[in-house]
Amino acid sequence: MKKLFPVKHVMGYLFSLILSIVALSVVYFDLSMAAGMAILLISAVIQMGVQLILFMHIGEDGSKKALYTNIAYALFVGLVTVFGTLFTMIWGYQ
Amino acid sequence: MKLDHTLPLEYRSEENSNRIFGFWLFLGAEIVLFSTLFAVYLTLWNRTGNGPSGHEIFEIGPVLIETFVLLTSSFTIGLVINSMRQGLKKPALVFFFITLLLGAVFLGVEITEFVTYVNEGATLQTSAFLSSLFVLLGTHGAHVTMGLLWGIGLMIQIGREGFTLETANKSFIFSLYWHFLDVVWIFIFSFVYLKGLM
Repeated sequence: MKKLFPVKHVMGYLFSLILSIVALSVVYFDLSMAAGMAILLISAVIQMGVQLILFMHIGEDGSKKALYTNIAYALFVGLVTVFGTLFTMIWGYQ
Repeated sequence: MKLDHTLPLEYRSEENSNRIFGFWLFLGAEIVLFSTLFAVYLTLWNRTGNGPSGHEIFEIGPVLIETFVLLTSSFTIGLVINSMRQGLKKPALVFFFITLLLGAVFLGVEITEFVTYVNEGATLQTSAFLSSLFVLLGTHGAHVTMGLLWGIGLMIQIGREGFTLETANKSFIFSLYWHFLDVVWIFIFSFVYLKGLM
């Protein structure tokens, strides 16, 4: 059993389920928009970290440095796309 | 061929290692693709025109099933790689089958959800909100569909050849793809559904 279900993977799975439940709480509690968004953002980013590090073994490859640079760059472009769009299309007019 | 036996099978040859790196580059491009779709959705989410809003059409039940199913399938594809690294072909194939089955359940629920929306009069053409919603969800769903076909092909090959340099490498790359789809879903779950229902 331990061979097929390593503790690390099981813990990671349970942790991701717990994080989803934490995120779900924003629907059931009467939170302000800012507090709700903060909870969603933090739990989503932690979940992404669990997947990347634990399940995708990002730290294992020989070309680690190039790999981290690539993902960091992709995330940078992605964040600029999302927040740049929000800034020019919505927040800039308020 | 130069083989480094201290590494797991999927990294062992230089070609394998390069393929995995190349796939990470592809995932980088995918991150940007989904970012553009999220940017569009987050800009247009309250442009509902004469159509319904997210709060009116989203139902938490099916969404929770989709989330649970996809998180579990991400766990089981991780177990495939774990079994593969110990050379256990049979358990790996069983976990692989469960992963694809869960993927199919996810797709079934998502298609049902789309049909429900359309029956409620919420179509792709109804409003800017719905166009951006369907394109974001549809792109993710198309990736899952693609993953299902890819996974079936891969399972057949593993069944025939066992875990070789090639099939181990392909399985690892498939697991990266599948985990990535789970990450995208987490963001859809949080910033489309939960935010919409908040």
